[in-house]
Amino acid sequence: MTSARDEILQRLRGGRSTGPCSAPPPLPTPRLRAHLSQPIAREQLVATFRGQLAQVGARAEVVARADLAARVAALLTDAEAHNIACSDAPLVRDALASLPASIETLPPDAARERLLACDTGISSAQWAVAETGTLVLASAHERHRLCSLLPDRYLALVPMSRLVGHLGDVFSRLHEPSASPTSRAITFVTGPSRTADIELQLVVGVHGPKDVAVLLVDDL
Amino acid sequence: MTPPDEAHPNAFAQQARDALQDEVLTGALRRATDLFGERRRAAIATVPDWQELREHARKVKAHTLAQLDHYLERFAANATAAGATVHWARDGDEACAIVTRIAAERSASRLVKSKSMATEEIGLNEALAARAREPVETDLGEWIIQLAGETPSHIIVPAIHKTRQQIGRLFVDKLGIPPTDDPDALAAAARTRLRAHFAAADLGISGVNFGVAETGTILILENEGNARMTTTLPKTHVAVMGIEKVIPRFDDLEVFLRLLPRSGTGQHLTTYQSLLTGTDPGGEGPDELHIVLLDNGRAKIAVDRVMRETLACIRCGACLNACPVYQSVGGHAYGSVYPGPIGAILTPQLQGLEQAAALPFASTLCGACKDVCPVAIDIPSLLLELRRRAVDGTPGQRPVRLRRSERIAFGLWSWFARGPRRFRFAARLARIAQRVPLLSRLLPPLSAWTRTRELPTAEGRAFRDRRRGGNR
Ligand code: SF4
Repeated sequence: MTSARDEILQRLRGGRSTGPCSAPPPLPTPRLRAHLSQPIAREQLVATFRGQLAQVGARAEVVARADLAARVAALLTDAEAHNIACSDAPLVRDALASLPASIETLPPDAARERLLACDTGISSAQWAVAETGTLVLASAHERHRLCSLLPDRYLALVPMSRLVGHLGDVFSRLHEPSASPTSRAITFVTGPSRTADIELQLVVGVHGPKDVAVLLVDDL
Repeated sequence: MTPPDEAHPNAFAQQARDALQDEVLTGALRRATDLFGERRRAAIATVPDWQELREHARKVKAHTLAQLDHYLERFAANATAAGATVHWARDGDEACAIVTRIAAERSASRLVKSKSMATEEIGLNEALAARAREPVETDLGEWIIQLAGETPSHIIVPAIHKTRQQIGRLFVDKLGIPPTDDPDALAAAARTRLRAHFAAADLGISGVNFGVAETGTILILENEGNARMTTTLPKTHVAVMGIEKVIPRFDDLEVFLRLLPRSGTGQHLTTYQSLLTGTDPGGEGPDELHIVLLDNGRAKIAVDRVMRETLACIRCGACLNACPVYQSVGGHAYGSVYPGPIGAILTPQLQGLEQAAALPFASTLCGACKDVCPVAIDIPSLLLELRRRAVDGTPGQRPVRLRRSERIAFGLWSWFARGPRRFRFAARLARIAQRVPLLSRLLPPLSAWTRTRELPTAEGRAFRDRRRGGNR
């Protein structure tokens, strides 16, 4: 009996010989990169990134490396955070140094039920894309799949040097040999979870975080 | 409107009439299609090389579809190397059996699912329900539809035919929440309830937007976060992927990501993209990833040189929002999982022309679909080819008894153009008729239709340019 695999491949070959396939003709080269990769001034990148995030109902601010821990503590206190799901990034650990003792932090491997009950998640991101206001989370570098998803509130700490202009800049970097080990799960996050499924009215936070904030950490 | 259970593609005319009687549906459809149409135009205006991107995407798809066997083998090999288990399914029944078996072998009985048209096409929920493993739909709109026991009326906003009051009553009935019709409160109730399902789920089912041959990566786009939950929390993730979803290279994703959300909802990007490559041992995701490669009629289309283009579709929904017929009658009227212009070419090919011959006739051939399509599929030409095949028959396919389809098309047409409630649609038709001489050529007997293959798209474009102030 032919396997489903063989039969489907056979169908796809139609009248063609069943021998090994010839190499595919070269694909048209994306013209995007040349078009897009003009260097952009940092101020402009930050302004674009903030503007895009504002459009999707999120926000970003720039914070000096030295002030990071104090700023994070202030933000979390203001938001009345009680339990925080944290990624394992060193930047996150540093940022939580000045946290009041009343706030509980949980590592990525904490029990699921406890992570599901957290009100806040904190991680870093491997890149931030100005053009779209997007955070790029790559699993080979950090454990942030759950803390960026489960809590109501998500705070991302992104080194300024990781802010790039365009989506294409990230794709080329994800693809470089130096990008290895390859990330098995790459997640792009652009603003809060949203739906318009009830009478087209925008509702945020239907499954993922409803509140997304980014601190661009000035490390340059 | 609750769609009749027995909705059928060939009953388009009657279903369209029913839809037009439904003021809630027609009003909501108008708002949705106008909104997405406007947002789309605004979003693509920010992309200077939009036409180049479309052209590139079209070429990539044409190239891949011409050697789909090659790319599928590469995709399967690379996904397997990354730890995924790849299954092949000749048809829907085989795919359902595979998913059911995966669930049974793991004693998984609490299933969650994110939105996927391929799984709707094969009736996966029904197949699993028959084994007491019905998955919970977790996309808000799909969940509402599932609770109500209905079918989607729009591919992006599945429950567009329901008012907030109806949804409120549904939630009171099914979930026992205090009465409310506030969308925020309803979404919050859904969040709480679906969280419990996610927390307990042992198997998650998703679709796939793109599969990358070079790396074995699958990409899933969404806005709500339910697909991330579905593909991260349960121990086992099963992704059902039509074989046409494969693209050659990782870098091609960049192009498609620029095209798809802008075309569909007018977003620069949807809120979330998950790019999943095999399993991540020691990571936070599932222990197992199963990818079910689904043929179900696609291979036959892929080897048909004329119709192959159909498979380039990336399911953005733009052609639905742009289609004057769809704008008026919505998804239920098509009696098929795939409605609108893409449904009118895809459904007859997947189900057989005999089964859905009415759909290629349920179009004014105005060309709006082709103009908005991010992969530039020439839908009007494909509609005409299907009409021709229906009339003339093909080797192995006798001519469909077309008097009926013909009657359907003409009957529908004159009906639309008459009644006062169809004013807007009729006005559109009138404008089309004024500007596009083609229409007068459509009305005479069918033989003439088959000779209009030189469909004047230039005229179609001119018409829409005037109507919409420029269309790209
Ligand atoms: S046919 Fe084109 S416009 Fe229609 S859904 Fe598919 S990709 Fe989008």
